[in-house]
Amino acid sequence: MARLMTNLYDVSKCTACRGCLVACKDSNQLPAVMEPFKGNYATHEDTNGNTYTLIRFIEHEDPVDGVRWNFLKYQCMHCLDAECMKVCPKKAYRKTEWGATIHDEDKCIGCQYCTYACPFGIPKYRTRTDTVTKCTLCYERVEEGLKPACVRTCPSGALTFGYRDELLQQAEARVKFLRANGFPRATIYGKLELGSGTNKIYVLTDTPDKFNLPVDPKVSANTWVWQDWIKPYAGWLIPVALGASAVSFVTNRLINKGDDHAKGGHE
Amino acid sequence: MRWIPEYQPDVERVERFNSVARITHWGHTVTFLLCLFTGLILFLGGVDWLAAIFGGYRGAGLVHRIAAVGMTLMLVFGMLFGFKGYIAWVKDIFRFGMNDVKFISIFPLDFFGLEMKFPPQTRFNGGEKMNSVVLMTMVSLLVLSGYIMWFPSIFPAGLVRFSYPVHDLAMIFSTLMVCMHGFLGSFHLGSGESFWGMWKGTVRADWAKHHHAIWYEETYGDKAKAEAE
Repeated sequence: MARLMTNLYDVSKCTACRGCLVACKDSNQLPAVMEPFKGNYATHEDTNGNTYTLIRFIEHEDPVDGVRWNFLKYQCMHCLDAECMKVCPKKAYRKTEWGATIHDEDKCIGCQYCTYACPFGIPKYRTRTDTVTKCTLCYERVEEGLKPACVRTCPSGALTFGYRDELLQQAEARVKFLRANGFPRATIYGKLELGSGTNKIYVLTDTPDKFNLPVDPKVSANTWVWQDWIKPYAGWLIPVALGASAVSFVTNRLINKGDDHAKGGHE
Repeated sequence: MRWIPEYQPDVERVERFNSVARITHWGHTVTFLLCLFTGLILFLGGVDWLAAIFGGYRGAGLVHRIAAVGMTLMLVFGMLFGFKGYIAWVKDIFRFGMNDVKFISIFPLDFFGLEMKFPPQTRFNGGEKMNSVVLMTMVSLLVLSGYIMWFPSIFPAGLVRFSYPVHDLAMIFSTLMVCMHGFLGSFHLGSGESFWGMWKGTVRADWAKHHHAIWYEETYGDKAKAEAE
């Protein structure tokens, strides 16, 4: 396997300018989506078919630290063990050698199984194309030796793109620095989450729940019962029933060579 | 070789299912099979030829939804015009007793062609009761989980997620039952006469007496006749 290429996002350097959002829209040729004013700075509540990334604004009050205002760039986490890939009945998802989860719109039939399987709720249905869409980690750009559009545009250096192992070391050093400089709960997110981690690394200045991230993201039991048990095994009950019927069809006619059944019942 | 028992109009026949029951039954048959074959496309995966029959994946999705609405309408139709029939059906299911247990336990031998001696059965025998319970439950689950998956935005995400395995599992159990039911209700020599009960509405009186002795006595026997007079 080739070396994993990852996007590192350092919350402590983010100014929430939303350059990444605009660059993403521009690079992927996505139209603007206007949402009504919700009383905060967020332009979008959640990702949608035409918005692959957005900045979340999370306010919370802490009895010790007072009011905290957290920013978070939110998009596909490119899980290394991707749930969307498992549930897709058309195998529209694939993983690139360097770790991006790519969704092929030509194969997509818009069933939205992935939307509800994703632990982060990222893939979204787009009516215009009748397909699901999500962040591509700009794989066309990356494979041409460029950086993803959001990284390219980030003015404050909050976004970095590179090899995952190198960026993890960088993130660990940054967390150590943050913990010593006023953010004692600073942490890395995406290193080991969901077992094998995600191909998107966050450096957070506080615990994940303060950024509305799932603290311990899990694959829903519904998903694995469905994919690992029902789909491969339970379905065999149907051919068994058909086979038994076929056997019965033959044995009935072999044993009852006369036609006593049809005439007057068994007697 | 005979496929299904011949229809014999010249012998004494008794009514088994009225027109509402029959319309609902065949309405469900058509809509269920349409839903099944369009749904299997996603369940099996990689069966593009099956999708092609319905005009591709989007066409199959449309047929699935139309058939699903048809199935719901069939339920409504049955409830509106045959409510008493539904009640009688459910009541008969709840008459599950030792005779039914005996029936189910020795039926597998009869199924493969051996002649077995069965205890007298009510309107629906032990196997039919089991079939009714499973299908009633599974079709209800299919309809409920289906609408939840169709309109996911108005339901909690956890419920939508839960609906996927439920829909699949209910499909498997109901299809299992439909396979057995379809075979037993037509090509199986012993019980094949029941096909005419659902197609024309009547079955041979001697067949009814033999296969559903309790039901026959209660509905068409001497006692019932005396009461009617």
